[in-house]
Amino acid sequence: MSILLNRETRVLVQGITGRIGRVQTKWMLDYGTNIVAGVTPGKGGEEVEGVPVYDTVAEAVAKQGAEASVFFIPPKAFKEAALQNIDAGISLIVVVTEHIPVHDVMEIRDYASERQVQIIGPTTPGVITVGEAKMGIMPANMFTPGRIGVISRSGTLSYEISINLSTAGLGQSTVVGMGADSVVFTSVPELLRLFEKDPGTDLVVIVGEVGGVQEENAAQFIERWMTKPVVTYIAGHNAPEGKRMGHAGAIIQGEHGTGTPQSKMAALREVGVDVAMYPAEVVELVKGHLAPS
Amino acid sequence: MRLYEFEGNDLLHREGIPVPDYALAATPGEAREGAEKLGLPVVVKAQVLTGGRWLAGGVQTAQSLEEVEEAARRILGSSIRGWLVQKVMITPKVDSVREFYMAVTIDEYSGTPVAILSAAGGVSVNQIARERPEEVVSRYISVIKGLLPSEARRMCRGVGLEGAEVSRVANMLSALYRVFRNYDALIAEINPLVRTSEGDYMALDAKVEIDDSSLYRHPELNLSLDSRIPNTLERKGREIGVTYVELDGDIAIIASGAGLGMASMDIISRRMRPANFLETGGAITAELMYKVMDLVLQKEGIRAVFINVYGGINPIHEGAEGVVKYMKEHQVTVPVVAKALGNHQEETWEIFQNNGVHVVTDVSTEKGVEQLARLLESDK
Repeated sequence: MSILLNRETRVLVQGITGRIGRVQTKWMLDYGTNIVAGVTPGKGGEEVEGVPVYDTVAEAVAKQGAEASVFFIPPKAFKEAALQNIDAGISLIVVVTEHIPVHDVMEIRDYASERQVQIIGPTTPGVITVGEAKMGIMPANMFTPGRIGVISRSGTLSYEISINLSTAGLGQSTVVGMGADSVVFTSVPELLRLFEKDPGTDLVVIVGEVGGVQEENAAQFIERWMTKPVVTYIAGHNAPEGKRMGHAGAIIQGEHGTGTPQSKMAALREVGVDVAMYPAEVVELVKGHLAPS
Repeated sequence: MRLYEFEGNDLLHREGIPVPDYALAATPGEAREGAEKLGLPVVVKAQVLTGGRWLAGGVQTAQSLEEVEEAARRILGSSIRGWLVQKVMITPKVDSVREFYMAVTIDEYSGTPVAILSAAGGVSVNQIARERPEEVVSRYISVIKGLLPSEARRMCRGVGLEGAEVSRVANMLSALYRVFRNYDALIAEINPLVRTSEGDYMALDAKVEIDDSSLYRHPELNLSLDSRIPNTLERKGREIGVTYVELDGDIAIIASGAGLGMASMDIISRRMRPANFLETGGAITAELMYKVMDLVLQKEGIRAVFINVYGGINPIHEGAEGVVKYMKEHQVTVPVVAKALGNHQEETWEIFQNNGVHVVTDVSTEKGVEQLARLLESDK
């Protein structure tokens, strides 16, 4: 079991004929992902790695039954592509694209939520259900199958945590990069809810960052709803206040008192979450839960 | 991208919010000329991308042309919260009988637009919200529906406005929402909006920040980065498309991804001091790594470079080529320690090892930092 994605999910690649789309399509297929179609306007009739390419999402849905879509398109093309995917009945969209205007994200989020479409990202490495399928750019050799769910704002830090878990013999069920921007489509609590329901997941690791209030929101959810143990690491306790550390989300707003690593860690500890000070400690804390002495 | 006050004023004006006339000056003489045209008394205001100008003496009233020159002389060239004042704005002094605060921004909890209105302007809205919450009204806005006039009026009545003032202030709020939406703002704030003794409404200060990712569709704003990033290395980072933040240590960090960069900082800070934070973004190429090596080594006194990268969009050995090319051409003598994982990692390690880079093959950054520390100790 898993969340969001499995080996049967019929995946469409939006922007399949681009340089990145082509390479990533090959790597996703190599991993076992059930890619049934690609879409690039004007390139209908071509094939990429044996996958048929269509001009529109509606065609890809009608002819191949595509149900989930992963985006490798430039930010300018995002809004129209998202509308097309939502209108064609796609139920899961993974947006790898970086630098999408935040107003476009807010518009599409409202449109999608009225139609109950799940969107992950933007600025996400994607979603991988380990051993089954991946939608996104994460390198496959970081992950081993198992029963730990991972939610991460940072892409590469999710790799770091996963490969450390893997090396310690602790496999993962699904790893979700929720996206690093200050406004994302799917929040930590929504992903926690999915992991809580998933019989294939025993424990959830949240990899957070300074800035924003996602982890504070998560604490409220955990207190009310989570029965499974949660372990977390929040990067950036040495980040200077008021400086944007790469992600649009990662800025410490000192004056508001929220978004600091201290405020996040305190909020999470209060609801019983194990908080690691450094990435490698995550492994120790997870072990503590899974093998009670 | 944060806008200067005068740029923010221009945007308010475009959407129909009255703002005072102004003149910009880079010298006391220009300030005097500006004041002559506008008419005395005037206010001389430092143009810097930070708050706290009042407290730092960056806003001064002048009754005579001599006072204008004097104020400009004091303010120009001074430093306000680390920002060098290069320009002042001269505006006619406006007599206000009532002040308001209004803003449209993105609420960080819900990620949706929120309009905020207070009938107590001029001071910090956070302070008002803490001390007199009944004087602040805020309302979430659906981007699909926009800020409906009826909602804007309800907010005005919510802070105790009555009569003609309700629709006048509501119109300003609607115009501010248009600034927020039409220019892809992260925040559009007026503090204060005043009612003048003549009964007009006018914005006396504007704080606007535009979403960097949307700048491509706002050529009309004609914004340049030059003076907006005071730190030279941080500006260079921005120019090559990476995020560089200068810190006060001597261990240079190059990381792919902000989270990994911050984790590297956390770990290095336990026993050494990071010289910078640098995150490359997802698409690492040879050219990019060449440029970031050049960037982090421009800071004085670097003792070592710690590279922590994962291949994602591109295989990681391409980036390794860029690093070793830079090291060869510039005879880098400080130790370079690299942890690189992902597609083509073995090939990457070989390229590094053959060119004098210390390769971390362990999967944890902690182990990599230990390796770096040992290396520096044995060098002593």
